[in-house]
Amino acid sequence: MNLSDEIFIPLPRDQVYAALNDADILRDCIPGCEELIKHSDTELETKLVLKIGPVKAKFSFDILLSPDAPPERFTLSGEGNGGTAGFAKGSATVELKEVDGGTNLVYEASADIGGKLAQLGGRLIQGTAKLLSGKFFKAFAARVVPENVD
Amino acid sequence: MNEKAPLDRDERISNLKGMGCSRKRVEDVRFTQGRGNYVDDVKLPGMLFGDFVRSPYAHARIKSIDTEAAKAIPGVIAVLTAADLAPLNLHWMPTLAGDKQMVLADGKVLFQGQEVAFVVAEDRYAAADGIEAVVVDYEELPVITDPFKALADDAVVLREDLEAGADGAHGPRRHHNHIFLWEAGDKTTTEQAIDSADVVAEEMVYYHRTHPCPLETCGSVASMDKITGKLTLWGTFQAPHVVRTVASLLSGIEEHNIRVISPDIGGGFGNKVGVYPGYVCSIVASIVTGKPVKWVEDRMENLMATAFARDYWMKGRISATKEGKITGLECHVTADHGAFDACADPTKFPAGFFHICTGSYDIPTAYVGVDGVYTNKAPGGVAYRCSFRVTEAAYFIERMIEVLAIELDMDAAELRRINFIRQDQFPYQSALGWEYDSGDYHTAWDKAMAAVGYDDLRKEQAEMVEAFKRGESRKLLGIGLTHFTEIVGAGPVKNCDILGMGMFDSCEIRIHPTGSAIARLGTISQGQGHATTFAQILATEIGIQADSITVEEGDTDTAPYGLGTYGSRSTPVAGAATAMAGRKIRAKAQMIAAYLLEVHDDDVEFDVDRFVVKGAPERFKTMKEIAYAAYNQAIPGVEPGLEAVSYYDPPNMTYPFGAYICVMEIDVDTGTHHVRQMYALDDCGTRINPMVIDGQVHGGLTEAYAIAMGQEIAYDEIGNCKTGTLMDFFIPTSFETPHYTTDHTVTPSPHHPIGAKGVGESPNVGGVPAFSNAVHDAFRAFGLRQSHMPHDQWRIWETANKLGMHA
Repeated sequence: MNLSDEIFIPLPRDQVYAALNDADILRDCIPGCEELIKHSDTELETKLVLKIGPVKAKFSFDILLSPDAPPERFTLSGEGNGGTAGFAKGSATVELKEVDGGTNLVYEASADIGGKLAQLGGRLIQGTAKLLSGKFFKAFAARVVPENVD
Repeated sequence: MNEKAPLDRDERISNLKGMGCSRKRVEDVRFTQGRGNYVDDVKLPGMLFGDFVRSPYAHARIKSIDTEAAKAIPGVIAVLTAADLAPLNLHWMPTLAGDKQMVLADGKVLFQGQEVAFVVAEDRYAAADGIEAVVVDYEELPVITDPFKALADDAVVLREDLEAGADGAHGPRRHHNHIFLWEAGDKTTTEQAIDSADVVAEEMVYYHRTHPCPLETCGSVASMDKITGKLTLWGTFQAPHVVRTVASLLSGIEEHNIRVISPDIGGGFGNKVGVYPGYVCSIVASIVTGKPVKWVEDRMENLMATAFARDYWMKGRISATKEGKITGLECHVTADHGAFDACADPTKFPAGFFHICTGSYDIPTAYVGVDGVYTNKAPGGVAYRCSFRVTEAAYFIERMIEVLAIELDMDAAELRRINFIRQDQFPYQSALGWEYDSGDYHTAWDKAMAAVGYDDLRKEQAEMVEAFKRGESRKLLGIGLTHFTEIVGAGPVKNCDILGMGMFDSCEIRIHPTGSAIARLGTISQGQGHATTFAQILATEIGIQADSITVEEGDTDTAPYGLGTYGSRSTPVAGAATAMAGRKIRAKAQMIAAYLLEVHDDDVEFDVDRFVVKGAPERFKTMKEIAYAAYNQAIPGVEPGLEAVSYYDPPNMTYPFGAYICVMEIDVDTGTHHVRQMYALDDCGTRINPMVIDGQVHGGLTEAYAIAMGQEIAYDEIGNCKTGTLMDFFIPTSFETPHYTTDHTVTPSPHHPIGAKGVGESPNVGGVPAFSNAVHDAFRAFGLRQSHMPHDQWRIWETANKLGMHA
């Protein structure tokens, strides 16, 4: 599965970058996130509840951040396990571009999904992933740009 | 009291409801009222429930399994892993194909959905909670879902348990992911014939992986009585006696202490022939806990983990003279058997009866080579409503004929006609070693051609092509031709066995003193209507009304030993045993009748429902009278009672055949299709119950339609089974199912006691090529030679698109 999008955030790039590395902000904004532990600047562990179609399961993800060129670009890769529901692993490249009045966040992600999740939710995964990322960035924008709340 | 007028002979015949009568199915009274008794209906006091932890990965090493959290869940009684089964030597089990299979994952998993741990709990809900709590640490390994990639030099080793370079159950293995090479025919002569021929057609024909998907999934209930030492096992078994023997050999429990019961079965279609880990685990769990343990899989488990069917890549060459007379046929198959070789085939035939692939044609020389290959897919390879690999063979030859017709620029019906084995050639010795018992292909073919109005259809098709080319229409017409020859009724014990058990079958009859009867058979109905049709065979053979005969199967404590029901073998083998046992009854009845009538044995003859004195039909004894006398009258030299048993080892297979024609309209722009006509002529020899035959043909055609037009088990590159639910796995409903026209000719089998050949699987064997050929034929005028099944809407659209028809 491949996913890409471009989101405008009305904040300077440095602030966006810092917010994306803030465990508290991430915990509040990731849909279904129950726990997020930052083991180091590059290692995160998170537990989240995902629902795709008829499958609902708690996943634990280990995420590795690689800040190639902060604050312009970073990559992350992760592996998650949802027990009987299946597994997911993938990577994403995130670029932060300075534009008028804020920052354009561009990401490209790819993921492999297996188990019941892929079987039952297969046809829904792309749509669900888009929905979840949309929710995340909406919540993210609301959180880091308080006056942006609609 | 008025005495009723005696019945005339025709009335007596019709009262019997014997062979040839469309007797209503006696089973349906309970089935249509929801009173069937299936495995899941078995409820025993204190019964526990088992459920599997299954692998989400297609290929992974298991680093650890932590069952502690699961065991702590209220209601969970035990969690079994390979480590628990190893001391009993039950962590692996033999497959029907001479390979072995993990019961529970031993160190690694080899396909998605593989059984990893078995949670036993007080109810299904606790079991489901339990499997969620088992923590398995996997290390992913590279996945192979393509049999050709599996044979690459650098392909990852799938079966680390097999010794490198050692022979397999069917001879040398030339690669670590190779299972066997099986060959038939004369390779050199065939290559010479093809290489020197006027015309050669070459094609790769793929018969995709699919699944029998019976309405009732697989399941079992094991109950070990520790006081009596007796194990009772209810299960969805197409071969209960084989299961008992295998269970005895595996567990060490003596065979008389195992009772296997196949209750009502909601469809089998080959899916319930094999032995599954669930059966083994329910037995072990019952022994461990001392309580009955039920395991019933859900639909996803059934589709992704129990036996699949087909998955044959068939590379063929067929040659002919300029006039179209076939001179040779060659086929090399790459057979994807999945992670373990669990094909259900007779031992000596690892590719089943695939070498029936010369079909209905007189082909002077042929060669077949089949390579079995391991991949990270579910094990299986069962005969999904067909005799062993016969569907693949029929599809292959019927596609090759079509491709040859294109190469020869010839009408495919005519090409078939000039190559059919002639009636005077039977018994016919095929180039690949079979002796066809009987057939009259030309008569069947001509009848089919006339019934559909073949010549007019071709004219209409040509007009539609012209209209399309002129831009006036976007619809095409396909005429899908098939003339198939099945090989069923396995089989002669001299060359057919499963795990060493000869493939005979049996029938035991007891006539009760009042003239009714019970017959028990070694087979087991899964919906075929045995209780109806076997009683009809007996009615005709022994002159007792079918309505007065109980037919019972499936309980190994009461039924005689038999190899079960699959591969259309019930009528050819157990049906023959039934007739032969009936004739033993009749022979004794003749002696009794002669004594009662005070004449010599030779002076009485059987007449419908009685023995009459020759030349004096007014002097007779009915079978009812004879039965009563058999028990209650002292007859010198004749022991009391009227019982018989027959174990029948058939001298040959039977060879049913048929001519199927599908007329299909295709919309080039949407890829949708409409089956305008599906004509199916079957010749299954003597017809026992025409209504039941019609029902069998309708069901088989519907499965064939599903397979050809949409049904498949598909995997993605990382080994996810993408068709694990009925949302993705196509089962036609009344909405999609086409209308069928059935027809028949009758060419009895010369070696079968009643001349019957078996029909249950013919419509699947013949239906698939008929539907597929219709799709191909629609596009023939636009250059299509071969496109792979299933022909769903997307693939048909894609075919049209690749042919440039959307430009």
